[in-house]
Amino acid sequence: MQALPGANPENPHARLPRVWGWILIAPMVVWLALFVLAPLGILFVYSLGTTGELGMVEFGLNWGNYARAFDPIYLKILARSIGYAALTTALCLIIGYPVGWFIARQRPVVRNRLLLLVMIPFWTSFLIRTYAWIAILKSEGLLNATLLAAKVIPQPLELLYTPFAVMIGLVYAYLPFMILPVYGSAEKLDNALVEAAHDLGAGPLRAFGEVIIPLTWPGIAAGMLLVFVPAIGMFAITDLMGGARVSMIGNVIHNQFTKALNYPFGAALGIIFTLLFVLTYALLQWRGRKRA
Amino acid sequence: MQKTIRLLLALGLAALCAASLSAQSKRLNFYGWSEYIPQAVLDGFTKETGIRVNYETFSSGEEMLAKLLSGRARYDVIQPNDYIAEALIKAGQLQALDTSKLTNLGNILPEFTGMPHDVENAFTVPYMVGTVGIVVNTEKVTEPVTGYADLFSGKYAGRIVVLDDGRELATAALYTLGKDLNDFSPANLEAVRPILAAWFKQIKLFDSDSPKTALIGGDVDLGLVWGGEAAILWDQDKKFQYVLPKEGAHLFVDLLAIPKRARNVENAHLFINYLLRPDVSKLISDSFPYTNPNGAARKLLTEAQLANPASYPKTEMKLDTFRHLGGDTGARIDKLITDLKNAN
Repeated sequence: MQALPGANPENPHARLPRVWGWILIAPMVVWLALFVLAPLGILFVYSLGTTGELGMVEFGLNWGNYARAFDPIYLKILARSIGYAALTTALCLIIGYPVGWFIARQRPVVRNRLLLLVMIPFWTSFLIRTYAWIAILKSEGLLNATLLAAKVIPQPLELLYTPFAVMIGLVYAYLPFMILPVYGSAEKLDNALVEAAHDLGAGPLRAFGEVIIPLTWPGIAAGMLLVFVPAIGMFAITDLMGGARVSMIGNVIHNQFTKALNYPFGAALGIIFTLLFVLTYALLQWRGRKRA
Repeated sequence: MQKTIRLLLALGLAALCAASLSAQSKRLNFYGWSEYIPQAVLDGFTKETGIRVNYETFSSGEEMLAKLLSGRARYDVIQPNDYIAEALIKAGQLQALDTSKLTNLGNILPEFTGMPHDVENAFTVPYMVGTVGIVVNTEKVTEPVTGYADLFSGKYAGRIVVLDDGRELATAALYTLGKDLNDFSPANLEAVRPILAAWFKQIKLFDSDSPKTALIGGDVDLGLVWGGEAAILWDQDKKFQYVLPKEGAHLFVDLLAIPKRARNVENAHLFINYLLRPDVSKLISDSFPYTNPNGAARKLLTEAQLANPASYPKTEMKLDTFRHLGGDTGARIDKLITDLKNAN
């Protein structure tokens, strides 16, 4: 039996991968430091400031903005945002999982075409697509006109500027972010494992619950994170499709910078928000480990 | 030979410097409201003067104020509204205009000069003026709506659009109490709370950017909107009637000013003077039918434009303007609005 040449510590090339590794990830590290860590630091400094007479930020060491974030009204808005985001994630999972799975089971040619279809909406600006939904859902819009003409409904349905419209907007916007990671996991899944489960007597439900779900869990977890995290901070859809009647935490933060002239409070909310994301991520990682 | 090369080099350097200098002097950084100046006007200025306009936009005066106070942005001409300009003047952020360079300044009607935000007319020039009033789709609403009491009587619940602007809404509520429009004392803010709470239950949507959209689409039948938006509606269909609420109405003035840190002050004056020209100001009125404070430009408007009740409302009422509130009043109004929006 011929042994493969092992790594020889005296070989100068052995140390190279380490150096090369660092060089290769350097742009990423610089990117993270410049565009993630530095802004977070700035945000934190702002969050400790106060607002001056003309709305200028006066820097200091004031934890009041964090205390204010725990005012019941903001907790209520935060809870509602989490609720909306969770519902969005659940709906995206229910709708997106079968789609991702289906695409992954197709012949490569068909698969690529279907993937393209999922990604085509990204070619148009997100805001334009949201305005398209407004044109569809409004009182004299496409949907109501069609239903009225078909005599399905006697008078226009009130769809736009309701929580229902917000949910449509959110699920529509984030569905591809669930489909793509699920597809990624499902595509790698070895069909032999599913067949083995069936051979060993597992019904479709049991095979799904005990084989398919655990094996595609990385995709599910990534999809949940990709949907939940941005959905919770979304403010454009609630403004445009919800009529700005009900605020989400994203709207509150947006207002601090554009209307209330209160950068420090907006910054404090931003920091709390970021911590929340880290927590969500940690929770999902922990669940993932438990499953593994 | 070497001499020639040196000479050529020196000449080249000089040319480079001159080019970059003239590039600098052929530029203007303009920070204005979104949807408030026709592209044709900006293009016309570039065509006449060769000065390229970098146009950046904001969608609330507060947003602009914060950006200017942060002290890093360098604009040559800004477009603040009345109370924001007042704050900027107080903060020493604007530079005095050189009126000798503004030959068209005389076109501004006297009633739009010497206003509270800039009594001396030293720092600002009016761009457009407007009101906030009630617009009614008279095909759907047959009874007369003359003020806030009618609008929010409860009859039109779920059929109303209002500006998504806390200060405007709180001011409307102050009017119904007969209070001064700029008196946001804590007591007054508490007094308007129940009024706004009752109103909010009847509002279908909040939209400052384009409240006319929901009215045109038939999603709502009444609105508390910018006069210019109502003017466009009236222009499209006479069924959209505009009234100034009888409890009280105010004027907003959008201005042109030059920040203290402006780089191209000469160009800034050229630009402001250009916008004051009657033919240019008329172009602005054509696209954005607010109240034009430019008397010479008004002479160029059509009969129909001047007869638009939302652009030129006829009223006996005294129309005051917003003043700079200062302190944390803005934040307190925002908290009140957030509370009320999320009460249910």
